[in-house]
Amino acid sequence: MDFTPTPEQQELKNAVRELATRECTPERLLAWENEPAGIDDGTWRAIAELGWLGVGAPESAGGTGGGLVDLACLLEECARGLVPRPVTGAIRAVAALAALDPASPRLADLVAGKKRLALAFDEETARTPDGWTTKLSGDRANATVDGTKAYVPDALDADLHLVAVRDGAGTSLVLVENRAPGAVASAVKTFGGDRQAHVKYEAAPVVAWVGARGEADAALASLWRRQVALALAEMVGGMDAVLEMAVAYVKERQQFGQKIALFQAVRHQIADMGTQFTAARHLAWQAVTRVASGTEQGHELASACAYVGQAFKRLCWTSHHVHGGAGFVVEHRMRFHSERAQSLCIRYAPEAPALSEIASALLD
Amino acid sequence: MDYDLSPRESAWRDEVRAFIAEHVDESLSRETREVGNEGRGPRARKFLDALRDRGWWGLSWPKQYGGLEKTAVEQWIFIDEIETAGAPMLPLTATSVAPTIMRIGSEEQKNHWLPRINNAEIDFALGYSEPEAGTDLASLRTHAELDGDEWIVNGQKMWNTMAHMATHNWIAVRTEPDAPKHKGISMMIVPMDAPGVSVQPIWVWPGLRTNALFLDNVRVPRSYLIGERGMGFYYAAMALNFERLSIGSIGMARRHFRALVNEVKQRVVDGRPLKNDPWVRERLARLQVEIDAARMLGLETAVALDRGGVPAAESSMAKIYVSELTQRIADTGCEILGLNGQTHAQEPSALAEGRMQWLYRIAPMLAFGGGTNEVQRDIIGFMGYGLPRK
Ligand SMILES: Cc1cc2nc3c(=O)[nH]c(=O)nc-3n(C[C@H](O)[C@H](O)[C@H](O)COP(=O)(O)OP(=O)(O)OC[C@H]3O[C@@H](n4cnc5c(N)ncnc54)[C@H](O)[C@@H]3O)c2cc1C
Repeated sequence: MDFTPTPEQQELKNAVRELATRECTPERLLAWENEPAGIDDGTWRAIAELGWLGVGAPESAGGTGGGLVDLACLLEECARGLVPRPVTGAIRAVAALAALDPASPRLADLVAGKKRLALAFDEETARTPDGWTTKLSGDRANATVDGTKAYVPDALDADLHLVAVRDGAGTSLVLVENRAPGAVASAVKTFGGDRQAHVKYEAAPVVAWVGARGEADAALASLWRRQVALALAEMVGGMDAVLEMAVAYVKERQQFGQKIALFQAVRHQIADMGTQFTAARHLAWQAVTRVASGTEQGHELASACAYVGQAFKRLCWTSHHVHGGAGFVVEHRMRFHSERAQSLCIRYAPEAPALSEIASALLD
Repeated sequence: MDYDLSPRESAWRDEVRAFIAEHVDESLSRETREVGNEGRGPRARKFLDALRDRGWWGLSWPKQYGGLEKTAVEQWIFIDEIETAGAPMLPLTATSVAPTIMRIGSEEQKNHWLPRINNAEIDFALGYSEPEAGTDLASLRTHAELDGDEWIVNGQKMWNTMAHMATHNWIAVRTEPDAPKHKGISMMIVPMDAPGVSVQPIWVWPGLRTNALFLDNVRVPRSYLIGERGMGFYYAAMALNFERLSIGSIGMARRHFRALVNEVKQRVVDGRPLKNDPWVRERLARLQVEIDAARMLGLETAVALDRGGVPAAESSMAKIYVSELTQRIADTGCEILGLNGQTHAQEPSALAEGRMQWLYRIAPMLAFGGGTNEVQRDIIGFMGYGLPRK
């Protein structure tokens, strides 16, 4: 067993950490929140030039051909440093398209940051293919999409949407341009900084097929597992930051003439955070590496989901608690992490389906 | 033994409910959601005026000051009903500052301040905390020196909520620099329009505004020091104790929990009623049990007060339990609502009025504010079970 990243992965992590420390300051984070695109143009271009957007894309598309573990290292570090969500969303989206269709001619522009892609799967009351009602019509050459996708991250600014659609043949994945009148995205105010929108498609023309018609179920399932694995890495990065801040603060803040770290009740909270973080980190990385190599032996991913999501939220709560009022102001990093914790947990690691999968593994 | 309300208490509850039915409507709840609870929109003001016309600002006040001298259980009923309705709570000026002045003020001070509070001419912000004095209030540094018939006040208060709307500030200041920490503090009233007073906004995570307050050679009349010099630390504790019934109240959290339950009853996800999901059922049931438990802890405090006791441990139990339960409700509520659970209250599509994510954001402050939970746990040990302090 070896819990350490490779030298190349470590190098990438260091680069992210360096940029995040420099750029992702509280002032910038607040300013980005008010930017229509969630990030300024200069930072977006700088990040694209560093090649991060293409870590999951093949070299033929200008990417670095990294695998899931490389992506997870990158996203863990982005989350730790609060790199804006449009960046992590783009990294995920490029990796998703690259995994589904490595030869897609659209990848190069996405990798270069010239175009943006959003993943439009969820609907207001449906999160699985069986429940989706967004329809596909017409023959392969003239197909169109009708329906509404909900809570789509980064949908407003994306040039393309990868949409999961249904027809009599089953589930398909298609690319649609984010352009009226076919596609109309309207912002929905949520927290977590991933700039979500509801998108209404009305006879939106399919501009490219991703895989064969009606046969996307398996591809989507595996795509989703990879997306979840990446979210676990993000959560680990966030937890690490939250714990680090708590430790630093209790060593510095004084009340009753002493550092609050000297209160046993405070120390115990740090100890519990550390224990949960350590367990969460390994459950997450075990799941990431197993999903990456296709060697899952049981319910590693579900187990990590159920543990890591809840642990991240608990760590945020505790870190808020030891920070008192100081950590509660809008510009404090804590609240960005707490929002991301809930937002990542709701989308990628809800406890209910994870527990039910584990129960089935145990009992059925 | 009797766990039911007495006929008198039931009648009081019905009276409060009737008042609420008459004065609370959807537009008031919407305004409260939009403004955040630091703010007082026009509808909230109107509601508070109606409460005042009814004489209910003085629910807890002794009769000699025009109060109704309601029992603690009756006050508990009032708080519970108001919170359940999502209506604005009585201002701390009426529930915390006024009763403290009644207990500690000189006749002259009472005659000066109480009528003005009673006719809503003045409204206080509460200035206890400072950047370096949070839980450890006694270490506060804002200080005042006597100069003839005036105090000259200098220093900085932190988290001075409502300061931007209040007419006066109720602050704890050091007036006896040579006395031990706890014995060197006094309570003082500072008019917000006094020269040298300035306010800077501080925005906090749930979208509420609080403030930093700067006091730069502010002169206030000598008589604005309320009660005795050097007793301020104890007066501040007294003022906080007057809030113990509302701090330990489960009303607000229960209101949002009910909204959550109503959404779950109607929502269909992936073609299946959400209420059929075993995880959802178990979680909601467990939260309901905890809400029942929280209600008992709040009532225990009220009943003990009515028996003439000092329910320090009991009210600490309620405060800890409610603050931590609120966080569990929010956390689970967001997850049960799924992707909709992150939706902001301003979105028309937000389920449960967007309150689950708002509770998630407000919950941490319930635990470290109002007397942090670690200290509350110490109080339960010392006061409730006589554990040794050293
Ligand atoms: C939105 C908001 C509104 C507020 N409004 C007001 C207001 O109107 N008026 C006012 O005066 N104040 C107000 N406050 C301040 C509030 O009362 C303080 O935040 C609270 O007293 C905690 O102090 P602190 O933030 O300095 O945290 P600290 O006291 O520094 O606490 C930090 C951590 O140390 C822990 N700790 C401290 N002492 C001990 C100990 N002895 N044993 C174990 N653990 C300990 C705490 O539990 C906490 O986890 C407000 C705060 C907020 C955030």
